[in-house]
Amino acid sequence: MIDIPKQSEQTKSIRPWWVYFFRNRAATISVIAVLITLLSALIGPTLYQRLLPTGQRHVRDGIYQDYDAINGSPSATHWLGTDYLGRDTLTRLFMALRVSMTVAIVVESINIGLGCGLGLLAGYFGGWVDLLISRAADMLFAFPGLLFAILVSAVFGSTARELYGGIGRLLLVATALSLVSWPLMARLVRSETLSLKSRDFVMASRGLGASQFRIIFKHILPNVMWLIIVAATVDVASVIVNEATLSLLGLGIEEPAASLGLMIFRAVGKIESHPLQVFIPAAVITTLVIAFSFLGDGLRDALDPRSR
Amino acid sequence: MGGRQDPVRYVFLRHLYGLDQPWYQQYFTYISHLLTGNLGYSFKYPERPVWDLIATGVPVSLQLGSLALVISVLIGVPAGIFAAVWQNTWRDTSIMGFMLALYSIPSFVIIPVVWVIDLSLYRAGLPALPVAGWGTPQHMILPVLVLAAANAGFIARIMRNSMLEVMRQDFVRTARAKGLTERLVLRRHVLRNALLPLLTVLGPATAFLITGAFVVENLFAIPGIGYLSIQAIGQRDYPVIQSTTLLLAIAVVVMNLITDFGYTLADPRVRIE
Repeated sequence: MIDIPKQSEQTKSIRPWWVYFFRNRAATISVIAVLITLLSALIGPTLYQRLLPTGQRHVRDGIYQDYDAINGSPSATHWLGTDYLGRDTLTRLFMALRVSMTVAIVVESINIGLGCGLGLLAGYFGGWVDLLISRAADMLFAFPGLLFAILVSAVFGSTARELYGGIGRLLLVATALSLVSWPLMARLVRSETLSLKSRDFVMASRGLGASQFRIIFKHILPNVMWLIIVAATVDVASVIVNEATLSLLGLGIEEPAASLGLMIFRAVGKIESHPLQVFIPAAVITTLVIAFSFLGDGLRDALDPRSR
Repeated sequence: MGGRQDPVRYVFLRHLYGLDQPWYQQYFTYISHLLTGNLGYSFKYPERPVWDLIATGVPVSLQLGSLALVISVLIGVPAGIFAAVWQNTWRDTSIMGFMLALYSIPSFVIIPVVWVIDLSLYRAGLPALPVAGWGTPQHMILPVLVLAAANAGFIARIMRNSMLEVMRQDFVRTARAKGLTERLVLRRHVLRNALLPLLTVLGPATAFLITGAFVVENLFAIPGIGYLSIQAIGQRDYPVIQSTTLLLAIAVVVMNLITDFGYTLADPRVRIE
């Protein structure tokens, strides 16, 4: 007997994805944590400075060295204390979050553009196009990602600094990390495209005389979109850690700019006397990594058409 | 060389390292020297061949890496088996939660935590471990454990998945139906088959160890290859950078090759295909 779905089941399955997403408590908390992070990176420094009267605002600009409070403990002026040069830790933290978020956004843009584009091409056209792209992705995939990024930054780091300064280093880190990210994205998109290509609705569209361009962008791309979003979100966690690692090793962000890895590296020698300077950035990075992982999992459960 | 350089000395040094030659000639010299095992001389320590520097670093890194690999397998495999046997109970969730934390929390966060614990032991007058350096077994404990942590989490997850995969198979049901005890089913039928996929982990695990070693060696001041590379990068010691890069690339390729061969040896199904 053919199983006809009841009315109630039908309405259940067409609920929007965010209904499923917000049922997941860990994912909901994560999305709040991520939003707070983004917001504090955007307006945190300005807001934090504006709380002081006009003449004293420079104390919290993250560059100014407060010689009265070197390695200072949390106080009314410096809410999270100061570092070894007397710079405000909370402002440095906001600056570091800005760097993390910028790198994450740049990396994911390149990752989505390159990985999704090449994955669609390889999956849809097959043949030698597929062979070329898949082998290139396999080659990069076999090599440990962070090591590759370390080597790229090592070779081009000083050139980037001489040519473009601090921004150059930032972009170099982002490029190095996205070179590492795209093969996984391409592989995921390719296999999904392969299975979509032979589905009935694509056949029907082709039968109606739709162009290849239209099939790829109107029929296949919307159906792999969920996969792209999930893969990019999960990847953000590793991008944040990798950026911090590069900066910790002295290959990424340099002073006077701030990075979570750099903050830990500068404070690690004084861990006996000033453990807070290490544990504040360490706690922030741990929270971010966990939040992005749960966010990715929650999005996958909510968006994957097979999981319902 | 700074502003007050001696022009004669400048030309001499440029010629000594072959930097006055066109790039294609430099490349040709580099490759032909490489084939005879000559990696050139360090810019920073002119009297020391790069080969010497690497030869002092490799044993240290190998020791660190292999110990960490062994420890991570010793922790990860039992943890994965335990979690799979107690699937979906509080034992499973707590142990896998802990393993997930080990896997996802970066090592430069774990290291300060370990240091503070060690420090409080020391302040309490209890026996504590050295937090930096290399040489005695006491020096090895902390870096090896930190390096093994992420890998152990990774291996535990693979092991649990692989166990659960095998436990669903028909032959396991048959074994139970024959009346074998649960212990025998697990040991003879499940475990043997579940250990196979672990071989594929060897490649990624090595990659993990190499990248992890960069952080661990630098924070614990261990004179291995990771430490040497970062020092060389900071000092723009190009011959050393080139050689360590080459070395690490070879290590990764060899490890992937060993994984492939090991898999063909251990699993007859791969050979038939």
